[in-house]
Amino acid sequence: MAGFGFSEHFPGVGNIPAIKPFRRIIRQGRMVLSQIMTSTITPTTEEPHSETNYRSIVEHAIEGIFQTTPDGRYLLANPALAQIYGYGSVGELKGNVKEIARQLYVDPDRRTEFIRLMKEHDAVWGFESPIYRKDGSIIWISENVRVIRGEDGKVLYYEGTVEDITERKRTEEELRRAKTAAEEASRSKSQFLANMSHELRTPLNAIIGYSELLREEAEDMGQDSFTGDLKKIEKAGKHLLELINGVLDIAKIEAGKMEIHAESFDVAAMINDVAATVAPVVEKKGNHFKISAGDNLGTMFTDMTKLRQSLFNLLGNAGKFTEGGMIRLEAERRTESSLDWVYFRVCDSGVGMTQEQAAKIFEAFTQADASTTRKFGGTGLGLAITREFTHMVGGEISVESVLGRGSTFTMRVPAELPAAVPEPVQAVSTPVVDENVELSSDSPLVLLIDDDLTIHELVRRFLQKEGFRTICAQSGAEGLELARKLQPSIIVLDVMMPTMDGWSVLTRLKGDPEVSDIPVVMLTMVDNKEMGFSLGVDDYMLKPIERSGFVSVLRKYCEPHGTPTILVVEDDATTRDMLRSSLEKEHFAVIEAGNGTEGLKQLAATRPAVILLDLMMPEMDGFQFTKEVRAHSEWRDIPILVMTAKDITAEDRARLDGQVSRILQKGACGREELLAEISTRISRATRITITEREVAA
Amino acid sequence: MKKLLLVEDNEMNRDMLSRRLARRGYEIHVAVDGEQGLAEALRQLPDLIIMDMSLPVLDGWETTRRLKQLVETKAIPVLALTAHAMAGERDRALEAGCDDYDTKPVDFTRLLGKIENLIPAAT
Repeated sequence: MAGFGFSEHFPGVGNIPAIKPFRRIIRQGRMVLSQIMTSTITPTTEEPHSETNYRSIVEHAIEGIFQTTPDGRYLLANPALAQIYGYGSVGELKGNVKEIARQLYVDPDRRTEFIRLMKEHDAVWGFESPIYRKDGSIIWISENVRVIRGEDGKVLYYEGTVEDITERKRTEEELRRAKTAAEEASRSKSQFLANMSHELRTPLNAIIGYSELLREEAEDMGQDSFTGDLKKIEKAGKHLLELINGVLDIAKIEAGKMEIHAESFDVAAMINDVAATVAPVVEKKGNHFKISAGDNLGTMFTDMTKLRQSLFNLLGNAGKFTEGGMIRLEAERRTESSLDWVYFRVCDSGVGMTQEQAAKIFEAFTQADASTTRKFGGTGLGLAITREFTHMVGGEISVESVLGRGSTFTMRVPAELPAAVPEPVQAVSTPVVDENVELSSDSPLVLLIDDDLTIHELVRRFLQKEGFRTICAQSGAEGLELARKLQPSIIVLDVMMPTMDGWSVLTRLKGDPEVSDIPVVMLTMVDNKEMGFSLGVDDYMLKPIERSGFVSVLRKYCEPHGTPTILVVEDDATTRDMLRSSLEKEHFAVIEAGNGTEGLKQLAATRPAVILLDLMMPEMDGFQFTKEVRAHSEWRDIPILVMTAKDITAEDRARLDGQVSRILQKGACGREELLAEISTRISRATRITITEREVAA
Repeated sequence: MKKLLLVEDNEMNRDMLSRRLARRGYEIHVAVDGEQGLAEALRQLPDLIIMDMSLPVLDGWETTRRLKQLVETKAIPVLALTAHAMAGERDRALEAGCDDYDTKPVDFTRLLGKIENLIPAAT
């Protein structure tokens, strides 16, 4: 049992922290089981009587248990495994599955990866892959497997266990979606608040205005009995306006919509202006208001409106919580680490706060305690806004307070708005595209509309490897919304979906001028191409997904890097180099092959926009290569330009006729002509595809 | 008596502001959209125009731009009223040729101050 410890790497284990401890327990259990099983059961026909109990464990295990050969056949399987894979019996499973890589794994590369990991580590734990069941449906499994070697070190077989984790994958996907939805909801909430606050201010404007007007008229007419009540309406209206303004500011900050407008101003003048405005409020409760400003304050270049508002908030606050005391505004300019800062300090001798209260005083909708609101009024937003404003102009704010003795708020602001002000606190970043962080935003965006979450995970995974970003929608309605909002490069659509089926989604997509020109590819178990094409679908693919075909269809409609790839099949290295350098100058991507066989290999890996082909080559010549390429349906429409030094005979021409786009004579054809030819072929290829689709429709 | 033209589409705001300004001794003329505002400005040649910015037919920015291009009206000060208390709105108003701006909801005392700044000695 060497090399089987838990300190081994666990390749392929998904990382969900909450599940980890449970998984460890399961692993331990499995190891015991695995040890029992492998020490006793051999793939021979001899079954010692004493091992009946162990056999029974394997027979009745809930997890699938297997032994497989390196080339992908079953030596042993238990009934649970057959059941997980959707087969009626172990016999049926073993009889049907002869090549695990292709028949089971949705992504055949998973088997290659599996064998690679086995070579490196002799065991894998939690190796997760999507696989096809017998009926073609897809489930997710997790495998724990180890290698069994002979005395000579050669691999005899693999053995291990399989667990169906489809349900867990579904939960993970749902969690991810819920998170995205929550973030989106939070953003729309802020947007709503911002809009709503504007709407609220309009009628409020009338309420405040008319109550002022009536009060003035009542005073003129000597109707003193009305003026008191009218003043109350006016005051309540103004308070409501203050609340709405606060909510609006917070919403704007959270929605990332608060902007900074820097201007140059005299600090002393600004302070005097603030003091004059705020003095009546601050002095209301018998407070003494004092300003002490240094004489070197000079000018600042920053957002004056936000700075003024911050000072209003701090001073208004001090006035609110101080009675018959002292309120002081201090300002001072200092140079610290070669930067000029202006310090503003607001000190009061008011009620003060405990440390605990001071710690959360800057949070929105939080006052020192709930009773504060009843006693002192206010929104609890002023300090939160002040802090955000201070941060926005590159400054800091802090508070020192002693309960019963008073508080001092210190605001430190750079005299010059820094070039790169830290981003305003943003509640949400763009939600949906986050999952494709590794890919640049100019990678083509694929919108997948399918109710099957397993497909989401699968498609996202392999398209990511191919350089596409993927966004998934679980329903037709969601898909339509995302299509309009994100304008993807291509839409992949399932037919069988609850509430709104793929055909209805397709009809709506094609009927909406905003999205009607986005190519739509059907990906479905329903074989009804005619229906699809008549409704305007651009391509039709059947499930189960055939990976390379799927990718090449997507490539046809959106080239991942926007650069057309040219495959150069040419045996002479000098000619290849020359072609590469002229093509790369024209921003084409170039892949090379030294003969036909290599050319086919390259084709299997990457679909080029055009093939440049030499005829006379060793191993497989251009004629044979052309024949092979045209025999593959997915390569049939790739334009081939033949470049040859050979004198083309009538017989040669006949062999190539209809198979290649054009024959160019080496030497006779210049660089310009070649490039022009390539460009024509690339644009024509797109046109031809469209025409063929129209014909098919 | 100084003549003010108030261009405002919201009926309540228009009524309230015109009444309050009239009480302060101004002669008030009103218009409900930009096009009417332009016509009324040419007819009345007021001492000052108070212009709401979000107006139907012709918005306040465009109306101001045109007023500032006409020989007859280009010397008349325009005071912009914007519903949005954002600094960007002020810049937009000043760019269009407004001489000053104020935000809604209107702080009447502040508005009076701005009016008196633009046309001294009203009464």
